Amino acid sequence: MLTIENLHARVADREILKGLSLEVPAGEVHAIMGPNGSGKSTLAQVLAGRPEYEVTAGTVRFRDRDLLAMAPEERARAGVFLAFQYPIEIPGVNNAYLLKAALNAQRQARGEAPIDAFEFMKLIKNKMELMQIPKDFMTRSVNQGFSGGEKKRNEVLQMLLLEPALAVLDETDSGLDVDALKVVAAGVNSLRSPERSMLLVTHYERLLELIVPDRVHVLADGRILKSGDRALARELDARGYDWVQAEAAAT
Amino acid sequence: MSTTALEQELDAKVARLPGAERGALLRRAALARFGEIGMPTPRRENWRYTDLKRVATASFEFAPGAPGRGSVDTARALLAARALDQDALRLVFLDGHEVPELSRLPASPELQIASLAADWETVQAESAGRIAVERHPLASLNTAFGQGGAWIRVPPRARPAQPLQLVFIASERGGLAPQPRILIELGEGAALTVVEHWLGEGDQPGWINSVSQISQAADSTLTLYRVQEHGAGQTHTALVAADVGARAALQIGFIDLGGRLVRNDIEVKLTAPGASVDLFGALLAAGGQHVDDHTRIDHLAPETLSDEAFRGIIGHRGHGVFNGKVVVHRNAQKTDARQSNDNLLLADQAEIDTKPELEIYADDVKCSHGSTVGELDAEQLFYLRARGVAEVEARELLTIAFANTALERVALPDLRAAVSERVTARLRSIIEALP
Repeated sequence: MLTIENLHARVADREILKGLSLEVPAGEVHAIMGPNGSGKSTLAQVLAGRPEYEVTAGTVRFRDRDLLAMAPEERARAGVFLAFQYPIEIPGVNNAYLLKAALNAQRQARGEAPIDAFEFMKLIKNKMELMQIPKDFMTRSVNQGFSGGEKKRNEVLQMLLLEPALAVLDETDSGLDVDALKVVAAGVNSLRSPERSMLLVTHYERLLELIVPDRVHVLADGRILKSGDRALARELDARGYDWVQAEAAAT
Repeated sequence: MSTTALEQELDAKVARLPGAERGALLRRAALARFGEIGMPTPRRENWRYTDLKRVATASFEFAPGAPGRGSVDTARALLAARALDQDALRLVFLDGHEVPELSRLPASPELQIASLAADWETVQAESAGRIAVERHPLASLNTAFGQGGAWIRVPPRARPAQPLQLVFIASERGGLAPQPRILIELGEGAALTVVEHWLGEGDQPGWINSVSQISQAADSTLTLYRVQEHGAGQTHTALVAADVGARAALQIGFIDLGGRLVRNDIEVKLTAPGASVDLFGALLAAGGQHVDDHTRIDHLAPETLSDEAFRGIIGHRGHGVFNGKVVVHRNAQKTDARQSNDNLLLADQAEIDTKPELEIYADDVKCSHGSTVGELDAEQLFYLRARGVAEVEARELLTIAFANTALERVALPDLRAAVSERVTARLRSIIEALP
């Protein structure tokens, strides 16, 4: 599904990713953990195509296509979804409009007709219930006046609607209380399938108790230093990251 | 036109203008005053960015004759095409003349409307003296050549349920310079909503010079929206002067979409404790359009409130001006004054001049102001693209959203939706014309 090789990326002359390689097969959920400033969010933004991040070397293949050659909107239409760490407020654009525009952009890319209003409401209704999003959110401006938790749930709602092939969740757990975390995890778990891959960027092991990953990677100083199974996440939670960095330095 | 030419124009027409002999004296005096002060030029500080040369040097027909049958039929078709709120009380003016057959005004004790043509002399004698003509010489020109307008009175505690619609249409006749005047007086505890539509089609030249005077007694509420969609050759100089009494609330919203050269002067005096004004606007300018919003709010009494927000969206070869002056006078303690002006420039050849001016003579006040000039927000743009929205569409969507945010203060949902549609259509054509 996703193959990253020797990825180097920088923002404003500061190199952040320094030769990152990673393989996420179809159907698997991988977690990226690491200390602050290690490059986790940069990786997420680079995968989504944020123009401010410049890729200086390396390749990223997504379903056998050169992901880096695609515009952000092309990536989204091809099935890449980034759940933003800090969802953006857009006054004057309502949620329903954005959801419909996003869905129709995908449908158009697949050669399908735009969805009609009735079908759209049917499609969105139980997804909103699952994410515990009240009805009036649809007529409100995108993320405007939403609490931190509401913004995160709204990101997952968009993901449920768009059913991406590759979902990148950038610290979707940060700032959530236990109940909200459960709602978000239920939403994400409902999307798990053999055709879909996920990359969870997180600080905390507690998310991985609710969304159990197939693989866990430690990202530090712009590279993957260590990979393992979910036991690695527990070990990181108990011991921190220093030992991984020390181990990597020794080899 | 020179002062002499204007005097000759007045001599030729004064006999058939409303106001009879005493009116003629007032008109001549007003024109003489205009001649003394002179046409505003960019040499005057508050006209620095707006040059009236294109109307000052052209010749116009002042106090034009009544429109013919054909013009009335065209106006009727335009009204129908625009599907303005059908239930509203409506007063229609064509080239400055009231057109009763297009108006809809059932007699009501709650709303007294007199034709200015009938009461011209009384109205002028009462109202003209309240305008600071040194600052607004064009108001004198309006007095000299005025022939149509309305004197709208709402008695104490009356609150007509329907909005009053004032529709000003410029016909296909070019070269006219009508001088409409509107007076709105609200008694104690009265409430009224007025929606003005200024319409015109084609690119023939014209110069509308309008004066609106508002006076609100204690505890009254006035809401005034102006939706301006002039034809491409129209110049409009407008003065709106309001006196707001104790605990009275005034809301004014100006939406400028059309015209060639538009200058709005909005002056609000908060004269007694508890008076408040909510002033907002959106201006769109492109393709040689020049739109200038000049506002002045005087806090003359304690515990007065002003909240002002204007937005500009300037496309290729458009020029916008915003000048917002707030004066907090010496005894106006506990004043709360907020002002913002945010602008979006869509092209390299687009200009906005924005200037907040605060003069504060009281010490216990809360005042804030801010102005921004910029491009679309890069993060918002990326967020939309990351959801699959193409860049061109995302830019258009954000531009429309920026304008629509200014319309959020329109309290009538149907009007808000209708105006939003017009704003969106105009923005689409501005975006399409970008180089």
